[in-house]
Amino acid sequence: MENIITGKNIVKTFGKGDEKVGALNGVDVEISKGEFVAVMGPSGSGKSTLLFALSGMEAITTGSVMINNTDLSALSDSELADIRRTKMGFVFQQPTMLKNLNLLDNIILPALQGGKKNVGVIAKKAKALMKNTGIDGLENRDTAEVSGGQLQRAGICRALINSPEILFADEPTGALNSKTADEIMGLLSDINKDRTAILLVTHDVKVAARADRVLFTKDGAIVSELPLNKSNGKDIEVRAKKIIAQMAVVGI
Amino acid sequence: MYSKLIKNDMQKSKLITATVTAFILVAAMLASLAAALIVNLFGAIDNMLLQSKTPHFMQMHTGDIDMDRIQHFADAHSSVEAFQALEFLNIDGAEIVIGGNSLAWSVQDNGFSTQSGEFDFLLDINGDIIRPSDGEIYIPIYYMREGAAKLGDVVTIRGTPFTVAGFSRDSMMNAGLVGSKRFLVSENDYEKIRSFGIMEYLIEFRFVDDYPVSAFESDYLEANLPANGPPAINYALIRMMNAITDGIMIAVLMLIGLLVVAVTFLCIRFTLLAKIEEDYREIGVLKAIGLSVSHIKKLYMVKYGAIAGIACVLGFMASLLIQGPFMENIRLYMGESNRFLTGLLLGMTGAAAIFLIIMLYVNGILRRFRKNSAAQAIRFGAPQEKSKSAKSFQLSRNRLFSSNIHLGIMDVLSRKKLYVTMLMVLVISSFIINVPQNIYNTISDKSFMTYLGIGECDMRIDTNQTQTEQFMQKTAEIAGMLARDEQVSSYTVLICKMFETMAGDGTTRRLRVELGDHSAFPITYSKGREPRTDTEIALSVLYADDLGRDVGDTVILSVDGEDKRLTVSGIYSDVTNGGRTSKAVFETNQTDILWSSIPVAFYDSSHTDAKVSQYREMFPLAKVSSVEEHIRQMFGSTIAAVQIASYASIVVTVVLTVLITLLFMKMLLTKDRYPISILKSLGFTNAGITAQYETRSVMVLFLGVIIGTVLANTLGELAGVAMISSFGASTFNFVVNPLFAYLFSPFLIAVCVYTATLLGVSDIRKINVSKYIKEV
Repeated sequence: MENIITGKNIVKTFGKGDEKVGALNGVDVEISKGEFVAVMGPSGSGKSTLLFALSGMEAITTGSVMINNTDLSALSDSELADIRRTKMGFVFQQPTMLKNLNLLDNIILPALQGGKKNVGVIAKKAKALMKNTGIDGLENRDTAEVSGGQLQRAGICRALINSPEILFADEPTGALNSKTADEIMGLLSDINKDRTAILLVTHDVKVAARADRVLFTKDGAIVSELPLNKSNGKDIEVRAKKIIAQMAVVGI
Repeated sequence: MYSKLIKNDMQKSKLITATVTAFILVAAMLASLAAALIVNLFGAIDNMLLQSKTPHFMQMHTGDIDMDRIQHFADAHSSVEAFQALEFLNIDGAEIVIGGNSLAWSVQDNGFSTQSGEFDFLLDINGDIIRPSDGEIYIPIYYMREGAAKLGDVVTIRGTPFTVAGFSRDSMMNAGLVGSKRFLVSENDYEKIRSFGIMEYLIEFRFVDDYPVSAFESDYLEANLPANGPPAINYALIRMMNAITDGIMIAVLMLIGLLVVAVTFLCIRFTLLAKIEEDYREIGVLKAIGLSVSHIKKLYMVKYGAIAGIACVLGFMASLLIQGPFMENIRLYMGESNRFLTGLLLGMTGAAAIFLIIMLYVNGILRRFRKNSAAQAIRFGAPQEKSKSAKSFQLSRNRLFSSNIHLGIMDVLSRKKLYVTMLMVLVISSFIINVPQNIYNTISDKSFMTYLGIGECDMRIDTNQTQTEQFMQKTAEIAGMLARDEQVSSYTVLICKMFETMAGDGTTRRLRVELGDHSAFPITYSKGREPRTDTEIALSVLYADDLGRDVGDTVILSVDGEDKRLTVSGIYSDVTNGGRTSKAVFETNQTDILWSSIPVAFYDSSHTDAKVSQYREMFPLAKVSSVEEHIRQMFGSTIAAVQIASYASIVVTVVLTVLITLLFMKMLLTKDRYPISILKSLGFTNAGITAQYETRSVMVLFLGVIIGTVLANTLGELAGVAMISSFGASTFNFVVNPLFAYLFSPFLIAVCVYTATLLGVSDIRKINVSKYIKEV
């Protein structure tokens, strides 16, 4: 199957001279179109850095990242911003909303960039997304007036407003209680069914268990990967046990 | 520990530290400069008045004087220490030729004198009493400043040659505002030229102690002693006249200083609040480990104390360095002040006052520490600014602007408090650039003379009895000539005469009344209007005060032996004739007329200069002057000083606007790192985010400049009142140059703000998404 992301020998170091720290030490990674990949690993193992590097938000030190067939390192800042806006969606652990906009405005924000847009059409699409994620009726609320779960759903709506080919999610359930987390993950699975690829960073095996494939990182490298193909069944508990077993093997 | 903390902190925020230091430095410098100048100005004036033994009371008189009567009067007043009648030989400017050029252009009454014997000495530049040798002449400093004379020039008066041996400091007639100038020659030479002019006397008194001058003046007038001339002047008035020109400069410095202090406050407020917000968590930790509020406050106080202390010391030293050029005029006209130490001390006090004010202000801002709960600070950081979404201004309903512009506007609307600081700086900037410019426009405008008691005209022809005995005949001749002149659009003859009246306190006063048609060349009345019927009279502000009369009150004049009841129709400001004049239209006999003046207007004002020369040639004994020239000579140096101040204010505005905007934008960027990284993660380009900040800036700019310009052109008048009233005008309207006020100044501020904004937000590209996105 065709790749949406192809990363080759990605190296990312922070700092200079003696204080130089390697966050990614030559990582190869491929993600197919429509694939759901989870990344797991201990704190500081480079999983978030990997996510930022693959999305072009963090410039890499050496190596290459291709989105479809475009080399990110060859793009200018504004071309990178264009790709981020049109091809990618982001969901973070903390709902990164602008406080002086209401929910609807926050959601439509990315769609208003890049030339003249029909605000009416965009708002209609946003309202449809809000309905699908169960937060319809909250359009005019301030970000401080809704719950964390509702905010995270709004964040997902915002990530989907430009119909991205891939969704990056950095611990999207990290700040939520387990019931809400389940609902959010259900939403992400549904999105994935609609052929949107997902790259998800998480600590939670039950979250990772929904992925097609799990990558394990340690000390800035991918040390193992676990395909969770259909033969493992749909049972989350079963898939989660497999992941835990694999983690024990890798030693994380 | 403190020094280490301060050093670290300053290194981290170089721009902020430098800006705050610079503002405090300038404020301290101006305060200390103004204080030192005031002390030295009055020091120098008092020194000069002491050395030249300035009279406490002086009345000019044309005509014969009876010295015995004056002696008798002086004997009756025990306070009179000495008196004298000095001769002042009026010679027409056209007959005084210095280095080949005559003084015909001068609006001053030029007279010759010998050095006085007892008091009222003319001093040389070193402050010594001048003793001219035969063939030598000492020229008033005023003419040296005007560039009319230099050392060694040959002066001829009707063929009699003199050599300029030096310049004279005349404690009474130094200032350009005073209408007479004394030339000093030796007694032998004086006798040679005695027949060339018309004699005027300066009747002068010195008192042993602080004798009430006003009582003395009314005694003098009541005794019917010689007083055929301009109103008497006294010691206090002389002191003030000498102080005006430099006083205005000091007032401008103080005004600018005040505005700089205001901006410094805004600057400190803004940076300090941002710093507290940044340090909020650490402050909480400090509280949690047991430091008291006062202890934490002290950390900040010490830092600002260090900055303010250093800046004030530097500002004081800078004021010493730049005092020279400001003192130049004072040194030249008044000589050295012997209060150098007092000046130094007061200068220091000025700088210290700025230090104190700033520390009090910082202390006031830091009071909010009390509200900081340790637990809250550690857990949540700084309390979030209140930022509610603007309900009526939603992106989803926006059809008008691009989303970046919309977001920019929205940010300003939802964080008004934050932008008010910036707004105020822009309002102040508009103020600083416009008010001095407006003051300059107002006092250099032709119509300004109407506030000073002079009707707006192109040319004035004055004749009086010191020029020719039959001057009323001359006046009629001139009037006839004007009637035939086809270029003259209008003229009117005004004559001046003294009449007796009773003041409010029952004493007799002699009132100077200008008679004629006062509607032809109207002046501006601060109350009421000009006299129209022969039972009306308009009084100058000083006369109205003297007599205790207001519009509608009655004044009884003794006219041609009969009492005449007149109603006060208006009150006006006047700088001519010592500010004591009145205007009426009634008829009287033609005897004892002091002078006549004929204001003239031409169809084409550009011919004025040619016309002035023409009439000067035709009527050599009359004083023909272009009114514009007249104003220039009277107020020229002051107008020039205000013009320099107005240029300086443009520079101040540019520096202020650029610095503060730059600072503001940098602070804003630091504050907004998180939302900026959100936008970046959503695919906003750097250019797009920059556009948002430009929008914010432009919006505040727009508001600030509009408010500032409106305020400067309206409320600014009040600020101008103090300054312009020192010219003698009590009410006036600003003359606004629309091109400058509504085009140039907003444009200049806009360019400054825009450039500084671009510079300030250039760091947007450096904001790293992955670093800040996780910070909440």
